[in-house]
Amino acid sequence: MSSEIKFKIKRQDGPNNSPYWEEFAMPYAPSHNVVSALMYLREHPINTRGERVRPVVWDCNCMEEVCGACTMLINGVPKQSCAALVDDLAQPIVLEPLTKFPVVRDLQVDRSRMFDALRMTKAWVPIDGTYDIHVHAPIIDPKVQQERYEFSRCMTCGCCMEACPQYHPDSAFVGPAPLGQVYLHNAHPTGRFFRDDRLHSIMGEGGLTDCGNAQNCVQVCPKNIPLTTAIGGLGRQTTMQMFKDIFMK
Amino acid sequence: MADSLNAHFLTRKIHSLLGLVPVGAFLVFHLWENSQARFGAEHFNEHVVEGIAVALNYKVIVELTLACAILAHGIYGLVIWWQSKPNITQYHYGANYRYYLQRVTSLTTFAFIIWHVYHTRIMVELDEEVARDLFTHMQRLYADPWIIVLYVIGIVGATFHLANGLWLAGITWGVTTHPRAQRISAAACGAVFLLLTTIGFHSIYGFKYPYEGEDQPGHADVIGDPTASDLDQHRST
Ligand code: SF4
Ligand code: SF4
Ligand code: FES
Repeated sequence: MSSEIKFKIKRQDGPNNSPYWEEFAMPYAPSHNVVSALMYLREHPINTRGERVRPVVWDCNCMEEVCGACTMLINGVPKQSCAALVDDLAQPIVLEPLTKFPVVRDLQVDRSRMFDALRMTKAWVPIDGTYDIHVHAPIIDPKVQQERYEFSRCMTCGCCMEACPQYHPDSAFVGPAPLGQVYLHNAHPTGRFFRDDRLHSIMGEGGLTDCGNAQNCVQVCPKNIPLTTAIGGLGRQTTMQMFKDIFMK
Repeated sequence: MADSLNAHFLTRKIHSLLGLVPVGAFLVFHLWENSQARFGAEHFNEHVVEGIAVALNYKVIVELTLACAILAHGIYGLVIWWQSKPNITQYHYGANYRYYLQRVTSLTTFAFIIWHVYHTRIMVELDEEVARDLFTHMQRLYADPWIIVLYVIGIVGATFHLANGLWLAGITWGVTTHPRAQRISAAACGAVFLLLTTIGFHSIYGFKYPYEGEDQPGHADVIGDPTASDLDQHRST
């Protein structure tokens, strides 16, 4: 192991500035993860040419791979920087912001589009109505619970969106993560009250049909969420919905 | 939010359907028919070319329907192509390669079909000699090895696009929803691809090396064709 940890970081001063590369090196210490190394660089913001520069900006929050905020491209692979161990990475460690979302600054991106998609698809459970929605707690088959639990672990990190060839700034596609949430909430005993609305919301332009089944999403999801099962299941639900829309009026 | 049926969804479903019927179904039929090239010029001209003309009483309608279906499927396919940002250099997964190949083969197949329809179907209208003996016309074309290369590309592209399209349709229509179902259907579609490609290559081979002469043991059994006795009469003339 070398006595240094080397970084090559793609930087950008603001949303409308052009990106540039900057290299950094710091003394080696065991068990660093990318975030703890970035914290060191924040205290010593000196590039390999010896210049003191503006500290690198990135997002992070939970530090235990559950919030998704710290997601970036690490050596070209989208993953959580808080959970990426420096000792496991080839050097120089190349850090880039996610490419599918607008850059705010350096490694920080704006993932609002993912949240807009959750809103658009009504990916929630209604808790209010003109009637009693919850008389008792709904009873759910443990097997169904198990299947749904997988989907509930989505942290909106955007890895799946990053790897999806159909999702990019110029496409209207909602992307895999929101589709997983539609599948989850359609299976919920109360959530299913919005089932038709959710299905209709993904049957328009940019909806489910814009998925090309490259299946990269399921490969890169750090939570191993069975996204392609959701996509297949929604294929069945939307096909049925189509027949319902045509014949059951 | 739309609360009734969406045009975008229907368009995609029709696009998918057109790819299977009539376009995909025709491809299977077409490859099968032409694989009989091996039985020689007379069998081909009389039974394949003429046979189709007679069997399809409404040839004009059938051809027009097919042409429209291919154009609609192809042109809307190009629209879908624009929305894609392939990333196979970054993500090396089988399905991702197939996703990319599905788009590449759409282009090769579309270009191939235009060229192929011109020099076979349209030439028949323009050139009487071609109309009389399509078999020899094809043989002359195949004398050029580059034409064979083009045909190999055309056939492999089309059979891949159809076989992979079947796999995709299984998912998008909601038949194969889970990973295991999708693995099984991938194997089945792989077999369809190999089978169709073999049949396609067999027709090139047939034009290059048709059975010649009197002594063709048991060809009637091979095709199980009730008109095989006619075939023998043709041969003896
Ligand atoms: S399966 Fe669909 S959503 Fe997942 S990466 Fe491929 S195109 Fe994107
Ligand atoms: S589905 Fe997985 S990869 Fe996609 S946003 Fe959720 S946790 Fe991240
Ligand atoms: S900081 Fe929450 S996932 Fe890394």
